[in-house]
Amino acid sequence: MKKIAINIIIISMLFSCTDELDQIPLTNKELSIFLRTETEVEEYVNATYAALQSNSLYGLYLPAMGEIPSDNTFDEVPANDAAVYGDMDEFKTIPANGIVADNWRGSYIAIQRCNVVLSRIDKVTFKTEATQKARVGEMKFIRALMYFNLVRFYGDVPLVVDETKDPNVFFGQGRTAASLVYEQVIKDLNESIAVLPATAVPGRVVKTAARALLGKVYLTQKNYTKAKAEFDAVISANVHGLLPSVADVFSLTNENNKEIIFSVQFAAGLNGNTEGSIMYQQFAPSGTVSGAKGHNLPTKELYAKYTDADTRKGVYVALTPGGVPFNNKLKRPTVITDGASDVVVLRYADVLLMQAEAENEIGNAVAARALLNQVRSRAGLTNITSTGQDDLRKAIELERRLELIGEGHRWLDLLRTGQAISVMNSWFAGNNILVTVAQKHLFLPVPQGQIDTDPAIKQNPGY
Amino acid sequence: MKTFTIKKWQVLLGCLFLFCSVTRGQSGNPKISGTVTSENGELLAFVTVKIESTDGKIIQGTTTNESGIFSTTTLKAGSIYNFFFSYIGYETAVVRGYQVNEGAGGSILVRMKTSASNLDQVVVIGYGSQQKRFVTGSVAKIGGDQLASYSAGNFAQQLSGKAAGIVVNDASGQPGSNPQISIRGIGTLTAGRNPLIVVDGFPLTEGTSFNYINPNDIENLEVLKDPASAAIYGSRAANGVILITTKKSKSEKTNVTLDVYTGFQQKADKVEYVDAYDAAIYFTEARDWGYVSKNPSARSVTDDRATRIAKGASLRELPLNYLAPYLSKQPGLVNTNWLDEIFREAPMSNFNLAVNGSSAKSSYYASFNHFNQEGIIINNGLKRYSATFKLDSEVSKKVNFGLSLNPSYTTQRFFNFNGGFDEPIGMVTAMYPFFRPYNEDGSLAISQQIIANGPEDGALIENPVAAIKMTTNNRNFFRLFGNTYFNYEIVKNLKYKFLLGGDFASSNFDFYNPSNLGAYRTPAPKPAAASETNGTSNNYLIEHTLTYTKKIGEHDFNLLAGYSFQKENTKSTSITGTNIADDNIPNVAGASAFTAIPERDRWVQVSYLTRLQYIYNQRYIASATYRTDGSSRFGSNNKWGKFPSLTAGWILSKEKFFPKQNLVTFGKLRATWGKSGNNQIGSYGSLALITGGNGANNYVYGSALAPGFSASTTPNPNLSWETNTSYNFGADLQLFNRIDLTAEYYNATTSDLLLDVPVPQQSGFATSLQNIGKIRNTGVEISLGTNGINLGAVSWTVNGNISFNKNKVLALAPGQTQIISGGSSNIITKVGASVATFYGYQVTGIFKTQEELNSLPKLPGTLLGDYIVKDENKDGVIDTKDWIPMGAYLPKFTYGISNVFAYKKWQLTLSIAGVEGRKIFESNFATREESGEGFAMPTKYYFEHRYHPVNNPDGFLGQPNYGNFSAARRSVRASDKFIYDADFIRLRDAQLSYNLTGALLAKAGISAARIYVGGNNLVTLTKFRGYNPEATTGSVLTSGQSVSNYPVARTYLIGCNINF
Repeated sequence: MKKIAINIIIISMLFSCTDELDQIPLTNKELSIFLRTETEVEEYVNATYAALQSNSLYGLYLPAMGEIPSDNTFDEVPANDAAVYGDMDEFKTIPANGIVADNWRGSYIAIQRCNVVLSRIDKVTFKTEATQKARVGEMKFIRALMYFNLVRFYGDVPLVVDETKDPNVFFGQGRTAASLVYEQVIKDLNESIAVLPATAVPGRVVKTAARALLGKVYLTQKNYTKAKAEFDAVISANVHGLLPSVADVFSLTNENNKEIIFSVQFAAGLNGNTEGSIMYQQFAPSGTVSGAKGHNLPTKELYAKYTDADTRKGVYVALTPGGVPFNNKLKRPTVITDGASDVVVLRYADVLLMQAEAENEIGNAVAARALLNQVRSRAGLTNITSTGQDDLRKAIELERRLELIGEGHRWLDLLRTGQAISVMNSWFAGNNILVTVAQKHLFLPVPQGQIDTDPAIKQNPGY
Repeated sequence: MKTFTIKKWQVLLGCLFLFCSVTRGQSGNPKISGTVTSENGELLAFVTVKIESTDGKIIQGTTTNESGIFSTTTLKAGSIYNFFFSYIGYETAVVRGYQVNEGAGGSILVRMKTSASNLDQVVVIGYGSQQKRFVTGSVAKIGGDQLASYSAGNFAQQLSGKAAGIVVNDASGQPGSNPQISIRGIGTLTAGRNPLIVVDGFPLTEGTSFNYINPNDIENLEVLKDPASAAIYGSRAANGVILITTKKSKSEKTNVTLDVYTGFQQKADKVEYVDAYDAAIYFTEARDWGYVSKNPSARSVTDDRATRIAKGASLRELPLNYLAPYLSKQPGLVNTNWLDEIFREAPMSNFNLAVNGSSAKSSYYASFNHFNQEGIIINNGLKRYSATFKLDSEVSKKVNFGLSLNPSYTTQRFFNFNGGFDEPIGMVTAMYPFFRPYNEDGSLAISQQIIANGPEDGALIENPVAAIKMTTNNRNFFRLFGNTYFNYEIVKNLKYKFLLGGDFASSNFDFYNPSNLGAYRTPAPKPAAASETNGTSNNYLIEHTLTYTKKIGEHDFNLLAGYSFQKENTKSTSITGTNIADDNIPNVAGASAFTAIPERDRWVQVSYLTRLQYIYNQRYIASATYRTDGSSRFGSNNKWGKFPSLTAGWILSKEKFFPKQNLVTFGKLRATWGKSGNNQIGSYGSLALITGGNGANNYVYGSALAPGFSASTTPNPNLSWETNTSYNFGADLQLFNRIDLTAEYYNATTSDLLLDVPVPQQSGFATSLQNIGKIRNTGVEISLGTNGINLGAVSWTVNGNISFNKNKVLALAPGQTQIISGGSSNIITKVGASVATFYGYQVTGIFKTQEELNSLPKLPGTLLGDYIVKDENKDGVIDTKDWIPMGAYLPKFTYGISNVFAYKKWQLTLSIAGVEGRKIFESNFATREESGEGFAMPTKYYFEHRYHPVNNPDGFLGQPNYGNFSAARRSVRASDKFIYDADFIRLRDAQLSYNLTGALLAKAGISAARIYVGGNNLVTLTKFRGYNPEATTGSVLTSGQSVSNYPVARTYLIGCNINF
């Protein structure tokens, strides 16, 4: 009895389970053993596109950031949602603003996903090399788009183009000069133009998208010749064009039409309503739908600029029964938080107007006028006849407001053309609102959280 | 640290009585006889009686006979003698200076008191036990009956104030909530903060709910406070270890005890909102000033609605359309006090039946418990049914084994109190008194405020009474834990123990929100929402230990060696249903589309442990422990943690030089050093996890869904436990044999803090989990205990403790000087300061004139009626550089006093717990009730003290403003206006009881019965105006941020304990 007991004890005490100490996650994949196959790389690429759908980017905030400070749109109830929109509308944005914090973070999440794919894709064998090249081009395009947005909204921003192995190395690194960021943007876009296909499945980046974006970068830098070259290439590629009817451009049944060069995709009713956006609800006038917040509403002044002949009136911007203008490019979803409208980033009409701007600045007034009139005549308007550079400037500017309302361009246009302060100050004065726009407002503040985390990141002046 | 159990017999009975009477002896010497009894009058046989002459010479030794009587005829008349009575289990009784009278006999009656010295108590220390007098570490022992004076569903609530160094924060009074237990301050920032709970040797998984342990089953609870004591639990012990010993049979007789109480609870806080008439004034002021302040020169408060719209007013600048009758003070209008509607007096009851006994070689203990606590918020509460079965059996002198099982079933009507507009306390902050909870026909009024407030964008809140009553939010838990052990004495002094423990838990959460109920900003009907979460976990422990004890002369050795293996698997599935056609099936089954999120988790721990305890001459004590833990949670480069400790003690009072006197009857000095770890870092924290398959990662090309996956965390193969290294110095004194005094100093440094460090976001991540940083906690603890002081006929037992703690962050991540947290980014964990220190502006007044506004430095966006804040750094600019530290939630000191007064059959217990030097950031007040933003309901305090140039020109709180609520006002949320003193003194429990006796009871088969009336939290003295002065969040970094914290109830109870 005693011997048996002792033996059992000794044997059982020798029993050891140290092998059990290596446990792998049961319901998660792990990065060190991921992106080894084409399928896995594609999953990461999908997640990179998905980052663009985030509320921090094209899911909600970017269209508002690009327009709400301008005279195109305003915030119906400025105090709503901790005044994150209201403050931007009224140039009271504080460094702790939630939109700013989310947008900054969301941009770098998207960038890092690009970096991960780009750092690993070369080691993976794809069934067709063209697919692999296309994915490289798509990632470089998305990275360039993110940096282009960041540099326009915030000025100097940290520049990272490698996969993060240790996040601690970024402490003390600070912001990179905007000029260097632009260099990287141009480099990425040129490299992506080299490998992207002319056409692809809906939603994916194509060569013309990269060219259109590069043109826009040059336009922003006032490099009109280079801008013109890119826009020419987009136009002559002949894969895009204006739709005959403005009603078809944003129709849910006609998404990814030939006028759309690049859009961030949304769809309703998928996977538990997780692929739609809440933008419709957030941008609907108060009381019109449940949870409506009245953010980023078109102003009455803008609505008044659509003449009765303009086919875009009531199609791009419509009125509620109460007479409040709203962005009708966003289509009302069945489940109010699951909007299916894609968010257009680059559109042929935008390219035509940018090309018109480039031609006009170079001095090709006739060419500029023709491009402008393409957009006008599609909207049922008569042609502009003047060839005066300044007349055309004003006409192009107005056309951009009317054509691109709600797509997040106007504030960036004002910044690009250097009119932000003068236009907005006269607008506020005209509307009897005590707001003065100053030089500091041309950049958003860097998120306070980032400065708190790493004092090497300095705040923009004036904040 | 010392505490001890108060036994009724200690307090109810006096100590020693001496009666002398004179009788004449038969022989030459007088015959002296005596009777020795116990305190309750039992005759004590075989008591050793020693008689000494006054010069210390032993005259005679004898014993009492079976009737407890002794006699002697050897004492000389006229001489004086001292009598010493000793008997195992009793304190030595002494009769001094007894003079034997010439020619006369004598009789002595002695009542012996049961041995009561706390020093002889056995203290459980983890993998063993030790006499209190030899304990060198810092171990608090609290008896089950000491806990039971606070009637509650879990022991953690009962623990508040009962021992030094243990702070219990009852942050939510929601039935079933688990209070936070902080042992010796806070030693972690983002890892788990839960102490390890060990029930009869079985360590429950960290963070386990306390509700599954029936407090009535607890015999004793020991808290291992210093890492040296806790080191034997290695990587799980840094937050302290709570050892629970459950009751077992104490006698051969079958005992049946019944404990029953019932009572009611009520809201006892200071939160009060204004009534409808004052609310109407407030909302009107806020909307008017919002309108006018946007452009005072062009706008006037007298502008009517149409004029305001024409001048570009936003919705929030228009007057609410239905307030006119209220403003004209028309009587009899709807005037609902919503706090009264959602709060109630709620019943609480407990039924506990325990049976124990033993036969020849086996003993058993069984209990059945039903605990029912309704919440003080309607439709909220907890019911628990639980049982305990224990069996211990001695197979032979060398072999014994036992088994215990603890099944329980708990149901909870639950709300997630997070301040949102879908939970009762969040909703009621913005529910206007102009609306009724019920329609005339008694049905619930739905969406009235949402509809009425729509045109002017007031608070669009659903009726909270309807939301509470119509929403299903049930949680059920089944749990079974227990263990079985087998002891075998291999050879003399060498004992082997095998322990197999198991814990199985399953839970089911059921949520349904019907379509005919509105939601924030959404009037009914809306799509119904439904979800269900089912989880199971199993955990098992295998442990082998060998203990060898040996005494060689004056050397006592005790050697322990052991091996332990523990593994836990958890699984859960959350199912969310959408497209719910109607409200016919009020659960997730009514949906027609589902998304499911499955989660699984597993951890494994393998440990080797050893301990040597050594005592020399009952005087010098030393021990050393070493434990090494391997954990699946740790990164591949750091799989094994090592946790040593050393302790030493010196019992001074045993030394020859220690003067023999009655003042200091025991004295001990002790010191410990040790390391322990905190492994609550998540099971896969060291890995860069890929998440996806969800909305944030999937994409849709056209309409084709494409699954996406991406990294959600950064990798860290070095990730490991947090290490707490500490020193503890203590002194124990016993005075007059009955007053125990303990003083301790500790210095504990946690290094390798597990920090989810905010990292520069250009990394693609917001935070990264790392072992970085250091925190130090230092403190002094003093406790005092007595065994019953006689104040005339009243016996008084008092236990008191006071603990001072100082917390200091020594380091964070490289280059990181602070971690900023909290809803207003003003809770800062900074190197050199205490964890989670509040910062804010100092408000010095209100801008009442344009001249002030023009001349004084001010926050950006400041309007008239906003706050003047102090330009602390005098740079002419108001920004966060003007913030000053304003204290922290972590208290400077805490104290507790427990009293038991006994008088004949009456007994009164009073326990007080107090906290000093605590601050709370009332974020609900800051953003809603006292913000002055005309959205939420104002408190009476705010309304009375708000500034309004006409209606209340002397007010000192910011002017109500809605449509133009300024960025400055939002910034002032971080200010002394919302950081409150939350010191409190609480009469934690009070109980008056009476012991029933008499023939009638005996006839009913009742051997003892006690009835009592009492209550919990009957008195709370605090300046704090929010719901709960213990309010805090789960995260250490936002400690003391109050958001909809459920108030702790005041409770009145009546109950009885009956022994059959």
